[in-house]
Amino acid sequence: MTDLPRSQHIIASGLVAAVGVAVAYISYTQKPADAFLFPRLISTVFVVLALWTFGKAVLGRTKVGNGLSREAMINILPGFIVALIYVFWAAKALGFYTASTIAFFILLTLYDPAPHSELRTWIKRAIITAGFLVVMYGLFALLLNVFTPKEILF
Amino acid sequence: MEFLTYMGDVFTPINFALLLIGTIGGLILGATPGLSPTMAVALLIPFTFRLEPAQGLILLGAAYTSTVAGGAVSAILLKIPGAPANIATTLDGHTMAQKGQGARALQLSFLASAVGGIFGVMLLIFLTPVLAQWALAFGPSHLFWLAILGVTVIGSLDSSSVVKGLLSGCIGLWLATIGFDDIMGAQRFIFHDAVAGGINVIPALIGLFAIPQVITMFAKGRKRLDAEVIAVKKHPIGAAFREVFGRFRALSIGTITGSIIGLIPGVGGQIAGLVAYDQAKKTSPEREKFGTGHPEGVIAAESANNAMVGPSLVPLLTLSIPGSPTAAVLLGGLLIHGIFPGSDLFDNYPDVAWTFINSMLIGQILMCIFGLYVAGLAARVAQVPNAVMAAVVLGLALFGSYSVQNSMGDVYVMMALGTGMYFLERFGFSAAPLVLGLILGPIAEANFIQGSMIANATSSMGEYFFSGTLNLVLIAIVVASVGYSLWMELRDRRYTTKDDAVLKEESLS
Amino acid sequence: MKKLLAAASIALMTLTGGAFADGHASYPERPVMLMVSYGAGGATDFQARIVTMTAGNEDALGMPIAIINKPGAGGRVGWNWFATQADADGYTLAAYNVPHFIAQSIEGGVEYSTENFEPIANWGADPAVFVVAADSEFNSMEDVVNYAKENPGKLTFSGAGLFVGHHIAALQLEKAAGVKLAYIPNNKGGAGAMKAVIAGEVLGGVNNLSDAFRAQEAGNVKILGVFDLERNEFLPDVPTMKEQGYEIDNASVNFRGVMVPKGTPQGIIDKLAETVPAMFENERVAKRMKAGGSPMHIMTRDEVLEMWKAREETLKELLAGL
Repeated sequence: MTDLPRSQHIIASGLVAAVGVAVAYISYTQKPADAFLFPRLISTVFVVLALWTFGKAVLGRTKVGNGLSREAMINILPGFIVALIYVFWAAKALGFYTASTIAFFILLTLYDPAPHSELRTWIKRAIITAGFLVVMYGLFALLLNVFTPKEILF
Repeated sequence: MEFLTYMGDVFTPINFALLLIGTIGGLILGATPGLSPTMAVALLIPFTFRLEPAQGLILLGAAYTSTVAGGAVSAILLKIPGAPANIATTLDGHTMAQKGQGARALQLSFLASAVGGIFGVMLLIFLTPVLAQWALAFGPSHLFWLAILGVTVIGSLDSSSVVKGLLSGCIGLWLATIGFDDIMGAQRFIFHDAVAGGINVIPALIGLFAIPQVITMFAKGRKRLDAEVIAVKKHPIGAAFREVFGRFRALSIGTITGSIIGLIPGVGGQIAGLVAYDQAKKTSPEREKFGTGHPEGVIAAESANNAMVGPSLVPLLTLSIPGSPTAAVLLGGLLIHGIFPGSDLFDNYPDVAWTFINSMLIGQILMCIFGLYVAGLAARVAQVPNAVMAAVVLGLALFGSYSVQNSMGDVYVMMALGTGMYFLERFGFSAAPLVLGLILGPIAEANFIQGSMIANATSSMGEYFFSGTLNLVLIAIVVASVGYSLWMELRDRRYTTKDDAVLKEESLS
Repeated sequence: MKKLLAAASIALMTLTGGAFADGHASYPERPVMLMVSYGAGGATDFQARIVTMTAGNEDALGMPIAIINKPGAGGRVGWNWFATQADADGYTLAAYNVPHFIAQSIEGGVEYSTENFEPIANWGADPAVFVVAADSEFNSMEDVVNYAKENPGKLTFSGAGLFVGHHIAALQLEKAAGVKLAYIPNNKGGAGAMKAVIAGEVLGGVNNLSDAFRAQEAGNVKILGVFDLERNEFLPDVPTMKEQGYEIDNASVNFRGVMVPKGTPQGIIDKLAETVPAMFENERVAKRMKAGGSPMHIMTRDEVLEMWKAREETLKELLAGL
């Protein structure tokens, strides 16, 4: 417990510092200079603060932040992968409503504590999914006239 | 007292029905993620084409007041702020809901909204001519200092460490510079097509607050869920009344801060809640309770963001200058009926102008009654199992961020920022300062550039930005605010040991 | 809930049923989206909402038009999106502002030009005007130019941004009067620029005629001149720049209309080019536009094509001198 967060803190603040340095580098080299005046100002402060945080992490003086536990990571992983596929690929490729139905049902199945062996719980999950979809359709498509990508079915 | 003369007009059957529709519809639209009050009011404009001018404005006025308050519903229950105005509400409101105090949080938020809102509309009724001058007093240099003041608030906002708070703010300020620069039109930091148009605040808000929430729910896994059943406590409305007025300091700070900041064109609405929250926190003896589900946080934030509604219309009604995007949409609602707002609006069209203002007054009360009525029911959302909640919030985040501009790019930005924010939060960074940076960045930059252009043409930079009473007052407040944060950091370290900090975070996640 | 379900299922049936029909005879089969590259509440957004309000009528498109705002950087954000990412299926329209997008394409740094867009019809023409605060000592353009001659580069005046109509007007004024001025672009568009004038942050400003007319009615500003060939019906007493001795044509007049991306099927373009101007001519639209102080100027697709071409040539010449 003691050493895991420390190395994690070093990695995390190191990444933030790297972003800061990249932003500063771009700000000071890109043209037109006028348009980058404000980014230069910000990135300078950004880099100073990020290096400060990084230094504290290296020295092990970071006071806040729990880092990531192994158990939490394992729990997150399947849902996180589903969420990423859903948002970055399926929503556009399959259409919002189709993708939402599938993702919603998979997430329920993954994280619902109800036993997977009973048919009743599967039906319950299906009903919840359908209910959610009807509400979303009513709200966004009918009430607000939002045209979501429609590839398969609807 | 002229407004009382026209009070009767609000209560004719058709007008009152429109008021009800506007209020209830506004609450629903406001609670929908992705729909800011501006968009909600813009959506209603076509409906007013067929109505009489006064009737159309009743609908719009009621919708405006209640969408602002409705944003608190999703902020408290789902941790998705409906608009920038509701960011501060999530900080304590959502934590309360997680503890099963959702009903209490909602009741407090609606009551505080109504108190703040009515105060704001009263200012609009009685002090409009005075306030109009005040609204005009803010030029580029003052708005620049005001934005800097907002930036200094960043460090102390919802973060256990001032340095990490400021660093989060810097990340937000940088994110705001992505895309076309607003004045020159130069392209900056466009590393992917999705950010070619810049980062839109609403999808960013949804991502930064909702996605970490979803991932945190995943982290609890499948097995642990059986153990966690939140008891949703019922909360009598009378007790909520007593509590709102009992916490008078938070309520008055919220109301007054909201009214003053709401007046300033172009800045007000978005940061009123956050600044009031920060002020309430700094002046409270129970400072350390903020962020852990403290009712004062909800009261200050919500009274402020509704108090700003009335004053934000002052520049529109007297000078015909829309001070906020929502006011600009309302201007459209007036124009299509051939009504030109201006100093003589109340002489030429007293029936329309006063009925509009009265509808906002009555709208606040109806919104409060309706809100209190549904608070108990809505709070049951906290009882929804984690798995369902995670899936619902993810779905709403997707649809909500898409609907802002019908853009997949916004959806990708939402998810990418949200994922990044989850990991950053695990290491002590926080979303609220980041969002504040994102909002204030463009305001600070544009006013700095405009100010320096005017300064270069007329006098010098030093004279333009550092002279004049208002500039000096604002600079003094900035210095005081920075000094206060530093002093707090050095003297009275908020967490003396690592265990304390961990304890607080445990209570948050 | 039952009603919602019924509505959802009906909507579902119509959608899936319609998807199998081909050809453009039945276009549009679903609501159409109109992208406005300025924020909700701006003059372009406000007018777009009015002129499209009758789209759902049977004699117009028969389907409603929904407005989507993609504001940012003087319109560049929205038009860039429209040129590169919008579907050319006839369901994605956009509002154009000439000379804004043409000037921006000449200046560079954007991914669109007149080549990427197909105009449908023009609905309005809003000339730029020169305004000063009501208590200003300037009473004519001559006063303004004299001040600028005595204090070169010190006459600050606001406008909606760089490479938009107001900026073009400012450049024309500098050129015609032979003076150096300090143009201060505002990031909040015409409304922000107007506020700067009324609050006395700048000495004057270039603004939309429609907004300036309103501000004058409210007693906040004086209008000193119109950047157009003729006087405007809303302001019969205000002389044009030419009348005051400055050789300025109508290159800065803000034409607003509807366009589609290149690659939209010709059948759909023809159908739109036929129905949209008629839709703009609707009596109710005209009444609302007049009430709002927004000058209408309806042009067909062919006229707009010609106007774009002419405007591009003038602007190339004007901006080459920068």
